[in-house]
Amino acid sequence: MAAYRADDDYDYLFKLVLIGDSGVGKSNLLSRFAKNEFNLESKSTIGVEFATRSIRVDDKIVKAQIWDTAGQERYRAITSAYYRGAVGALLVYDTSRHVTFENVERWLKELRAHTDSNIVIMLVGNKADLRHLRAVPTEEAKAFAEKENTYFMETSALEALNVETAFTEVLTQIHHVVSRKALDAGDDPLGLPKGQTINVGSKDDVSAVKKVGCCSA
Amino acid sequence: MTQTRSNSSKPAIISEEQQTNTHTNTYTESSETLAEKEPELMVKKRVPDWLNNSMLSSPAPVVSPPSKSRSQSPPPPSSSHHDLLGSYTSKSSSVYSYNSSTVIQPPVPIPPPTFIRPEPPTKPARTPRTDFRDPLTRISDSDNDISSSVEDASRQTNLIQALSRKIINMRELRRLASEGIPDGAGIRSTVWKLLLAYLPCDKALWSSELAKKRSQYNQFKEDFLMNPLLKVSVASQSEITRKLEDSASLQNGENTSAGKGLLPRSEIPHGEHPLSLGKTSVWNQFFQDTEIIDQIDRDVKRTHPDIDFFCGDSASSKANQDSLRNILIVYAKLNPGIRYVQGMNEILAPLFYVFKNDPDEDYSRNAEADTFFCFVELLSGIRDNFVQQLDNSVVGIRSTILKLSLLLKEHDEELWRHLDITTKVNPQFYAFRWITLLLTQEFIFTDSLHIWDTLLSDPEGPQETLLRVCCAMLILVRRRLLAGDFTANLKLLQSYPSTTNISHLLYVANKLRSHHHS
Repeated sequence: MAAYRADDDYDYLFKLVLIGDSGVGKSNLLSRFAKNEFNLESKSTIGVEFATRSIRVDDKIVKAQIWDTAGQERYRAITSAYYRGAVGALLVYDTSRHVTFENVERWLKELRAHTDSNIVIMLVGNKADLRHLRAVPTEEAKAFAEKENTYFMETSALEALNVETAFTEVLTQIHHVVSRKALDAGDDPLGLPKGQTINVGSKDDVSAVKKVGCCSA
Repeated sequence: MTQTRSNSSKPAIISEEQQTNTHTNTYTESSETLAEKEPELMVKKRVPDWLNNSMLSSPAPVVSPPSKSRSQSPPPPSSSHHDLLGSYTSKSSSVYSYNSSTVIQPPVPIPPPTFIRPEPPTKPARTPRTDFRDPLTRISDSDNDISSSVEDASRQTNLIQALSRKIINMRELRRLASEGIPDGAGIRSTVWKLLLAYLPCDKALWSSELAKKRSQYNQFKEDFLMNPLLKVSVASQSEITRKLEDSASLQNGENTSAGKGLLPRSEIPHGEHPLSLGKTSVWNQFFQDTEIIDQIDRDVKRTHPDIDFFCGDSASSKANQDSLRNILIVYAKLNPGIRYVQGMNEILAPLFYVFKNDPDEDYSRNAEADTFFCFVELLSGIRDNFVQQLDNSVVGIRSTILKLSLLLKEHDEELWRHLDITTKVNPQFYAFRWITLLLTQEFIFTDSLHIWDTLLSDPEGPQETLLRVCCAMLILVRRRLLAGDFTANLKLLQSYPSTTNISHLLYVANKLRSHHHS
């Protein structure tokens, strides 16, 4: 039985979602981070795909459970179920297609409507390797991210540029939020925001799990 | 487990697989089954244990028993499609010919045209009315490799014979096709066209029907793709033309005396200005269409990126992509309520692949047109899954997924409970893709074609058969699922083992049907 369990050696399990227009490179960001793989032409994602990877954040092992969703509008009604329990999001656009950046606002709105207000969001300008095709200036995106109070980074899944950093940053920030919340919760048990409950010893599919009996350093 | 393992009715007829296998498959039996494995006569009195038979749910990682594990060894991953293509065309060129232009008269008297009777929902004839819980075994020995290839050959002969009739007996054809159509000889290409009612069962009508449809498609293409106002929808297109004509004639009328020789300047109505953001503006339509076409382009480029036929560098691959693109655009234009939804390319690809590779040159050349109509027909039965507005209706994707869940509950409650309740693996997370794409992304391409033989053979449309196949997919990996947690199970179901024996999968799926009816 244990043989089929996913790697159990973690302190926290965080659910992240990847969102953004079709073709911006969400699936490749995921496969680059989770498997260090990249496909120039990969199949379009229908429904949802899912991968995990554990990394060390501060002194803890954090297991990221990352959900990749279809980009086309038609699939959003279905994908709303996938937002449930998400504590982090990478909102991806394509630096070489301005329209994908224009749509970021809509994605952000939808994300905020479906998730907890403490969700950690990073705006990600992918395909930064296409330098000669750049259509979204870095400054424009940065300004938008500041206005919307999200993190921001430009990445290239193809060149493995900043992918690791982007995910790690998001996971680190989530960890900070969670730690802070655990402290706050100590002061006031009612202050624990719902949707981001730190469930002790619960199942695998809960957003932010602090494992029981795990030997914290 | 309790319910599913109860020793229920014995099979009235022992299926071929059971007969040939009861004595050959011991090497993969679990110790539990081994213990029961007396040299008994056939399968009588054995405690049905197929649900836990390790052959049905091979543990992860899939360890193939030495050398003689699978009756259908999966084709080698990389070059296989090319090879397939090669043998496909070469095999067939001269041997069989049964298309409209060269009808071979059957040597035997033509049977009376039984086709006129409305077809009752057919069951494949080989389906014994047995309870599916009876011991299932699979063709799994090298001996059976031979017997299965013999079976393939006879299946091919039967199909060719069925196709050689002047009037195709659709019942017979569906029955034969549901068991799988051998690759090669272009049989699948013809059979699918018949199953999708694109070719009429009276062969005398084929050539006229084909000519009509093909010219109709060319007209569509001309209307939607060749027109200089390419991206403007039909309605608005004629509207523009009318308005342009109106204003032109108006101006002409005014200017007859003064402005001879000058080209009339048409006035653009306020709402039609390119910068107008009005919803009714034809330009708004134009921009929407561009968006759709861009989406189609993106998806066509990533349709089976691992198969040269679709995504190679050759001119023919590019031409194939163009065909897919044309079909999807024409479909989107003709169906403004649905237009293009991601995933339609995956439904289209197998049809086009099969038709384009028809050894008959005429069929191959006209594959795009033929594919278009077959695509429309196929989609008409499943398009509700693509429509967002129907998501929460009784015909939408959610209710289809719910049906799958109920089917699993009916046949394997323990597994259903483990998935739905214990590990909370929402079927939406895996079955959404299985169902919308008719399993085209779950297996290697040639295997999906085999599954489609069965799906397309169902006179009721593919959905019920599809749900049974999906349910069988779950049951086949039940051991791993029962041992897995949320993460392990979701990963398993989102990347289903590609080594699955498809014939066996379909066999189990068919068993679910008999069970259902009993």
